Amino acid sequence: MMLGRVVGAVWGSRHASGLDGAKLLTIENANGARVTAIDRLGAGVGDRVLVAHGSRVRDLTVGETVALKDVVIAIIDGVDEDEANA
Amino acid sequence: MILGRVVGEVWATQKHAALDGRKLLIIQPYLWYAPSHEVAHLVAVDAIGAGVGEDVVVCMGEPARRSLGSSSMPVEAAVCAIVDRVELSRDHGKRELTFVGGRAPAHDTAGEGGS
Repeated sequence: MMLGRVVGAVWGSRHASGLDGAKLLTIENANGARVTAIDRLGAGVGDRVLVAHGSRVRDLTVGETVALKDVVIAIIDGVDEDEANA
Repeated sequence: MILGRVVGEVWATQKHAALDGRKLLIIQPYLWYAPSHEVAHLVAVDAIGAGVGEDVVVCMGEPARRSLGSSSMPVEAAVCAIVDRVELSRDHGKRELTFVGGRAPAHDTAGEGGS
């Protein structure tokens, strides 16, 4: 899974049917790589989150009608990183 | 499968129910290949009690879910082995081995009787 921080929200009136009412967030990881994921846990801008990828993950969490494969599966409370590497 | 080092841990109370009671480890891969997005770290569910500082093997996708005992876990990375020893042949073939973050795992070079 990818660890990243929510940097913004994404919305659009014309979208795939499965995305009605979906909350889409843009998440950026430590490398600056960005992913747009669907969130049902209520994450907001600035929150650190865990994003899981894949159709299986999507089917298990938000259902297969959602036309997206990245899902926020956790909102992070704390991170303990080994200093030698932080 | 990815060879990497456990560099940290992550806690979350608000999460998908299937993650309850599971440890989430931050892994720094030694030798990275084709992730869906470029990352220097990834987070994997700990299936076997790995700790920070240990070298581990992470499996991805369905094998990861299977190693956690059920394929209804909404995850795609799980620590499924703790590495005791890495043996790297001196001749890596044409391709130069580049280690993410420039840190290779402590390893013995095959054929020289170890470092």
